[in-house]
Amino acid sequence: MPSGALTDERDVREAYSAHASELYGFAVRSLGDSGLAEEAVQETFLRAWRAGERFDPQIGSLRTWLFAILRNVVIDLGRARAARPTVSDEGIEASIEPFDEALLSWQIEEAMRRIGDQHRRVLVETYYRGRPYAEVADELGVPEGTVKSRVYYGLRALRVVLEEMGYED
Amino acid sequence: MKTDGCRHWKEELGAYALGHLSGEERAALEAHLEGCPACRAEADSLFAVSRLLPHADPERFGPAPQPPAELGRRIAATIGSERRSKRRQRRLRLGLGFAGAATATAMAVLAIFVLSSGSDGGPEQHVAFRDLPSGVRIAATLEPQAFGTEIHMYVKGVSSGTLCRVYMRGPGGDDVSAGTFRYRWGADESAVLSAALDLSRAEALVVHAGKRTFVAPLDRGEATDSNTPQEEEST
Repeated sequence: MPSGALTDERDVREAYSAHASELYGFAVRSLGDSGLAEEAVQETFLRAWRAGERFDPQIGSLRTWLFAILRNVVIDLGRARAARPTVSDEGIEASIEPFDEALLSWQIEEAMRRIGDQHRRVLVETYYRGRPYAEVADELGVPEGTVKSRVYYGLRALRVVLEEMGYED
Repeated sequence: MKTDGCRHWKEELGAYALGHLSGEERAALEAHLEGCPACRAEADSLFAVSRLLPHADPERFGPAPQPPAELGRRIAATIGSERRSKRRQRRLRLGLGFAGAATATAMAVLAIFVLSSGSDGGPEQHVAFRDLPSGVRIAATLEPQAFGTEIHMYVKGVSSGTLCRVYMRGPGGDDVSAGTFRYRWGADESAVLSAALDLSRAEALVVHAGKRTFVAPLDRGEATDSNTPQEEEST
């Protein structure tokens, strides 16, 4: 058994406090339902615990492993739903994007949350809202050059955060 | 080469990577990039980030939802009980000298299965509902009691707060109420209900969850003890 394997309940508790909020945030985004997301996260940790002996930190991070398990859980959930397209009870229906696209989106959104407000703000205004730099500069009461440099440092910060999160191209 | 001299250019690189430079600005910057490998490398790495931006939804940059506090406790409790029951199974297996008992746990999902425990209090029945909407799980354990039947209901996957009404269907199709409960996310306990109908005479367990109705026929042949059903053909 590799050292670091997820075999006792304390390991699971530690894994939970380190990664549950990320897994849950992603599960909510991907499943569109907080109740289903809770079940998905619960199932993920149960499967992780049951397969705990197979986890080897030499091969990949715990985070990557947990996301891989969550991926299977969400796919199982999606498959179960796809088999019954006619169901329309409240709380059961939820949109399910293809997992990898949803995971990519979620990682970028999470990275955006983690960079500074000033950086996020100029990226939102100039990139997502497509507003001219001069207008954004006016609104923020800073020179246009400052908006430009914040865009630069914002993208850099995003890159660093994505790397920290284990984003792999 | 000292990169400080590139500071002006570098700060243009963000807007460049987002495609926000005017034609003139871009031409000037690209002329610089021709001769500056450091800035070129920086530009490449920013393009790698800017290419990702269209995948994100700016409406979702606000605080991410957090898991409810009890989720961690629930997971710990489930793992704890699974570990304990594993240990019990292992003891049992050792005691009985089973070798390949692991495969015995492989079981079709959502099929109705009936177990006769035959210990104290007579045979109890485990009932799983099938043909449920995906994501929904309803199961129950029925125990014969002097007053009728004790019902442990287990529901998962419907909206939190959903009102569930439970009935036991007697011979001739009469439903005897077993009471109501509300399903709450996070509450993993089963609801304990009771109905004044002998388990041996019950034909089905009926659950109204919200606007939907689920019926699980009961296996009377195996679940009953001495009382043979009197109206086998009635539905």
